[in-house]
Amino acid sequence: MLGQRLLPWDYGVRNLLRRPSRSALTLGGLTIVVLLVLVVVGFIRGLEQSLAATGNPRVVLVYALSSTAAIENSSIPGRTPALLAASVRGVRRQYGVECVSPELYLGTRITTANMTEPGMGLVRGVTTVAPLVRGQVQLVEGNWPQAGEVIVGRLAHSKIGAGKADLAIGQQVTFDTQSWTISGRFNAAGSAFESEIWAPLSELQTALKRQDLSLVAVAMDSPDGAADVDLFCRERIDLELKAISESSYYAAMQKHYRPVRMLGWVVVALVAGSGIFAGLNTMYGAVVGRIRELATLQTLGFRRRAILLTLIQEATLLSCAGALVACFVGLVFVDGTAVRFTMGAFMLSVDSVGIAIACGVAALLGIVGALPPALKAMRQPVVEAIKSI
Amino acid sequence: MKTEFLALVASAALLAISSGCGTAPGSAPQSSQAAAAVDASQYKLTEEPDGAVGVIAAREATDDGDPVVLVGRVGGSEQPWVDGRAAFTLLDASMSVVAEGEDSGEGEICAGDCCATERLHCTTLVKIVNSQGQLVKIDSRELLGLKVSDMVVVKGTVKKDENGNFVMLASGVYNRNE
Repeated sequence: MLGQRLLPWDYGVRNLLRRPSRSALTLGGLTIVVLLVLVVVGFIRGLEQSLAATGNPRVVLVYALSSTAAIENSSIPGRTPALLAASVRGVRRQYGVECVSPELYLGTRITTANMTEPGMGLVRGVTTVAPLVRGQVQLVEGNWPQAGEVIVGRLAHSKIGAGKADLAIGQQVTFDTQSWTISGRFNAAGSAFESEIWAPLSELQTALKRQDLSLVAVAMDSPDGAADVDLFCRERIDLELKAISESSYYAAMQKHYRPVRMLGWVVVALVAGSGIFAGLNTMYGAVVGRIRELATLQTLGFRRRAILLTLIQEATLLSCAGALVACFVGLVFVDGTAVRFTMGAFMLSVDSVGIAIACGVAALLGIVGALPPALKAMRQPVVEAIKSI
Repeated sequence: MKTEFLALVASAALLAISSGCGTAPGSAPQSSQAAAAVDASQYKLTEEPDGAVGVIAAREATDDGDPVVLVGRVGGSEQPWVDGRAAFTLLDASMSVVAEGEDSGEGEICAGDCCATERLHCTTLVKIVNSQGQLVKIDSRELLGLKVSDMVVVKGTVKKDENGNFVMLASGVYNRNE
């Protein structure tokens, strides 16, 4: 009867508490492994979400043909927005305004009050049409910028390398030899705009002594309308324009960052692999020290399968506890941490996918880490095992 | 009881599959619906028209509204198609396309953005228009079965302006590769 039964659940739990220092060390090791997995997955997910949130299939970007994909190098005539609005059908109208946003976009050195060295930041010259076209943008604090003022995205400080307080409302930022007062802060649903500084277009053009634009963002009534803007650009070759839907533009960016993402997944695999080896090592140590105990259980009539299961149960319990601790630490300290990259900044994202992967890795660590040492211990004859020291 | 329960589960699964994975009637892709409504044969020429000239020659020799027959290859850029519209880029037959990033000599361009300016002089946009002169709103790959690098002969009229913009409004296309 006893031989048919599994060991009681609390036997495994109590065993963990009988060796608190060993259990605590193993728990710590497993937590670090799972946390590392969580951080790397958070990095990949954050990057993906930032690029995905920026692209809207109804918005078409029109920029210079010669600028390849680098919009900051683009220069198009100032009359382009009026030409587009007059020539292309299907442009969205909102509040009596055509959603055609002329923009000047540049990467430049920006200094704040407490910075000794300027940091590279992204500045976009916009008109009041910009928030109609870029629907994700929400002014969450302060006012729309007037002459000599700018508004800052919530991750702009991270992109520049400044403190958050340096970009508070009322503070000054300096770029292109002119000082600008911060009049507001905006969010943009996790998109790349959040790492930018927005200034009034005409003010920025005056400061830069430029009359041209970098791009025109056009919001269409339907995603199908992107083809009409594309046709216009291909017909008017004298303007040397190129059109691409915003979603396609950022999808191309995603492709550009594919090696980084692949590297991230390789790191996840390596960290998980090293975690499994560390787990194996710990479990070998733990099982070797318990050979007599395991043999005694066999003499009491418990089957090898039942003892094997209890060893796996102990390891899995420990790794799952590690996963819980890692997820808690990840949600509190890692989630939302701003990371700078070439296109701006994004936030590490500890989301459901990251947590699922971390928990999966933890379960794998528990099962795979416990199985080989447990199998080895079970193969030893009971008489020899019971005599071992 | 058990059989009834299993039948219920199976029905629920079937329902979920049919509603989640299937395509509801009438939700076929818009372009396919439009393609079905248009007689594509009216834009496909069964015989090759005579007197075809290249894109470069036509740019110089024709005026706005002139009837013209152009010969060239579909392509010359990374994306010669206009998605969802019967329009494509036609490259002069004398030009050849080299891989992006490679050095291009006389009579060669690459499909990338680096040759964007050179491309303007040896390519043209071909728009397939209906009898009212309206652009057909079906992708040319779907309407005419065209592929990149197909050698085609296009019959139509020239739309040209003083800024050097040259567009071919095509009434029919003959595909030499068919």
